[in-house]
Amino acid sequence: MSQVMIWSDIIQLFFKASLNLFRFNAWRRSEIIHCMAQSGIKSIPIVVLSTAFAGVVVTQQIAWHMNLALHDVSMIPGFTGQFIFRELGIAIPALLLVSKVGASIAAEVGTMKVTEQIDALKLLGIDPVEYLVFPRFIAGILSSICLTLLAVGVTLGCSTLVGVFGYNFSLLEFLNGMKHFIGMIDLVCALVKGVTFGALIPIVSCVYGFSCEGGAQGVGQATTQAVVSATTAIIILDFLITYFFTWVL
Amino acid sequence: MIQFFQELGATWLFFLGAVRTLLTTQNNFQPILAQVAFVSYRSLSTVLFAGAFVGAILVLQIDLILAKYDAEIFLGGLNTSTVIREVGPLIISFLLAGKIGAFTAAELGTMRVTEQIDAIECLGTDPVHYLVVPRLCGIILSSIILLFLGLIVSIGGAMLVAWFARDINILEFASSIPKFVSISTFVSALLKALIYGGIVATVSCHRGFTASGGARGVGQAVTQAAIYTNLYILFANFGLSHFLDLVDTLAQSASEAFL
Repeated sequence: MSQVMIWSDIIQLFFKASLNLFRFNAWRRSEIIHCMAQSGIKSIPIVVLSTAFAGVVVTQQIAWHMNLALHDVSMIPGFTGQFIFRELGIAIPALLLVSKVGASIAAEVGTMKVTEQIDALKLLGIDPVEYLVFPRFIAGILSSICLTLLAVGVTLGCSTLVGVFGYNFSLLEFLNGMKHFIGMIDLVCALVKGVTFGALIPIVSCVYGFSCEGGAQGVGQATTQAVVSATTAIIILDFLITYFFTWVL
Repeated sequence: MIQFFQELGATWLFFLGAVRTLLTTQNNFQPILAQVAFVSYRSLSTVLFAGAFVGAILVLQIDLILAKYDAEIFLGGLNTSTVIREVGPLIISFLLAGKIGAFTAAELGTMRVTEQIDAIECLGTDPVHYLVVPRLCGIILSSIILLFLGLIVSIGGAMLVAWFARDINILEFASSIPKFVSISTFVSALLKALIYGGIVATVSCHRGFTASGGARGVGQAVTQAAIYTNLYILFANFGLSHFLDLVDTLAQSASEAFL
């Protein structure tokens, strides 16, 4: 029951934050840039490092399986390219962002809540959604798009390196093989997923932060809950978007 | 950079210390069992839910490409093998890191900054024996239990999606599994789950145990634990996949030479 309440809260907060898109005063540029630096730029090293390793591993795994099934590794470029563009290059940064950015937003907002700073904001006539949620929402979307593109680039690059040095493809051969399989729709799919996950993470974290009670223990609980809920939601949304782009369009 | 290696070394020494305590003390059975039950129960719903959907996502992606080559007979085997060898252990350990790792780090961190751990030491009890060993072993053992449940659910989810979305019935799906999956696949999944579970448990216990600086320090320890767990797991995944592929290839060539 409480899960249903939380999710209705999340949808409500999403629409409230989206309404601020049309309010000129809500676009406080310095605050948005500050949030982007906090959530986006500080996550660049970890995203690059993890996706590079993931790209190497996935290429080797796909090659291993192809070798077992078809005794032929010529399908590697297409297979890895499409898999990275549609799934891997997007899901890994999203999951990393949840545990880095989502947790820190939930802890920040939760601490503000239990130290009654949010009540103070309301008392001053400031809407906490406009003041706290909206900049994080916009910053989440923008930095998620940038990080997704960066991650896809890094993963594709590492996968190409493995293909060239590990499996004796020439560079042009590998890129050509990828080109046959990757189209505009894959890029659109990647961007749609990036925007969705980037919008989801701050909203879920803020809802759990606003709802937390009972001092430091409550903040810790809210943080854990936010991470778990956001991870589950990302996996489910990922399935729905993949299904839509694969078999409906 | 130096700080990173210092942290890594400190975590490793912490793990060795916990193992030494486990081997040199008695009466560990009951607390470990309690932790296993607690961890498995708490993360069961998340693991089952996420496992089913991950299997479903994978089957859609793999089928998209296999359909172009008219090679859909391999769908079941490829999907099952990928889930068991790679994706299953990774996803289970990511979820464990988010749910149980963060919880453990917060719990131990709160105990540290409110000086409860110092109090335990004052009473003449070893806090590593009393607090860390049950949690460490509990998380590692329950990660294996959760792995098997997650694998079953995700293969089930994949079968259902293949059936409803792509009209590949369950028998067709299962017929190509034996070509790809053998005992060694399960052994590699087990080894991966053991090591990733160890990483989740050690990093979160260590970060919580060494937290400092009040409530803010606890929050920092929790976030750091989650990030470093994910990072270490991805590193380990790189090394392990390499190593296991090598072992598999060697075993295959050895069996061909002898038979």
